[in-house]
Amino acid sequence: MSTFPYKHKMAAHCESGAVTSLLNNAGLDITEPLVFGISSGIFFGYFHKMKSFTFPTFIVRNKPGSIRDNLAKRLGIKFHTEQFHAPDEGMKRLDELLEKNIPVAVQVDFFYMDYLPEWERVHINVHFIVVVGKAGSKYIISDSYFPNLVELETASLRKARFAGGSMSPKGFLFYPESIPKEIDYKKAILKGTKKACFNMLKIPLPFLGIKGIRMFAKKIVEWPSFARDMEHLSHEIMKINILLEDQGTGGAGFRFMYASFLQQGSVILGKPEWGELSKEMMEIGDGWREISLFASRIGKNRELGTDRLKELGNMLIGRADVEERFFRRLKNSLN
Amino acid sequence: MKEKDGFIDCPQQQVILYVEKEDGKYEPMQTGSYITKNFLDDYEMKRRHLEESLKRQVLSCEVSPIYYYMVLEDLTLSELSARAGIRKGKLKKHLEASHFNAISQKTLQLYADVFNITVLDILNLLTVNTDDSTNTNTGS
Repeated sequence: MSTFPYKHKMAAHCESGAVTSLLNNAGLDITEPLVFGISSGIFFGYFHKMKSFTFPTFIVRNKPGSIRDNLAKRLGIKFHTEQFHAPDEGMKRLDELLEKNIPVAVQVDFFYMDYLPEWERVHINVHFIVVVGKAGSKYIISDSYFPNLVELETASLRKARFAGGSMSPKGFLFYPESIPKEIDYKKAILKGTKKACFNMLKIPLPFLGIKGIRMFAKKIVEWPSFARDMEHLSHEIMKINILLEDQGTGGAGFRFMYASFLQQGSVILGKPEWGELSKEMMEIGDGWREISLFASRIGKNRELGTDRLKELGNMLIGRADVEERFFRRLKNSLN
Repeated sequence: MKEKDGFIDCPQQQVILYVEKEDGKYEPMQTGSYITKNFLDDYEMKRRHLEESLKRQVLSCEVSPIYYYMVLEDLTLSELSARAGIRKGKLKKHLEASHFNAISQKTLQLYADVFNITVLDILNLLTVNTDDSTNTNTGS
């Protein structure tokens, strides 16, 4: 399979990874951190109660789909996108594109990615993979979370592309149609950063941005009331580590990858102060990593009394404070 | 994070971590998952306990096998309803052991597709396995 003519590379995140991979294979030399930063990927949102989640949860990136949308708008790239009502139609269209040797990104339910270990797979409809070919009844997949190209049975891919429920993919697919010869990266980086600062500092909703981190800090002591028992609570607390480190973030909730974006941006924009800001963001990421390690430790040891959860809450408040200062400085650097 | 601090030896689950390389550049490195490396056994134990507890509830007719898989796959009632295409009111009944026998094979198939298992897997939950230490009915 390694001989299949598609350059596969693991990436930090599935959507920025799929977009970067498609663009790289189409001849555009762009890094994942640039894709992530230009599309204002960095974010925070806390959801205490939602119909589609069994337990409170949080996100550390912007809305699924907006990495592609924002990047296209800011770089002038045109992506062809399609959705389908009928699974037969959606699978037929995918085959037609593959016959023309067009690698295609598709939105799927992560749960049906059989090549990943069982403990990793959860029902979530916003995973992105690139389908690069077909061999008999199997599709050849480039998944940012897997080291090599892999095969996936037709039945699994079909199920994954047409899973129902929240943010149902409806067979959604996309691929780059045209890439401009000249790209104004400076303008795109500034725009993406401005929007990221707005998202973190100004969105007038109490559960989003910095306010979302503060809400998370305050509400975490209520988590035991949602749990079936101690083991359930332990599982959910340890998931903090997974959401920050393992579920496609590049480590410490995307903060390390965002530091890389700022470092690259510093060179492109000729802004030495961004070099300092990138260092600061790396340290902010280190602080988030301490939280993920702390959460996994107290979860494993079942030290989940109010005192420990308050301690975790205080660590989160610390992150909210430093991120608030950081994003204000980043915003000011745009002037 | 420095490159030397980022390496985790865990071939079962590889991830990309952005680290500071020796030349000061922040770049990706392929490494292993910290939590899988250190706590997979804990996850598996909790999972086993949950399966056992749910199975006991199924065998003592407190809940149906649909409930078993819904909880195991971490789906809410709304989410399962939307995924299987079955009305919430009807689904609620299907979670009760007393209504399970009334579920048609066609409807069971809808659930099985969501859970990525076979109808037989769902029905097998109701059978008594004498080797199964979780079975509350054995030895009675």
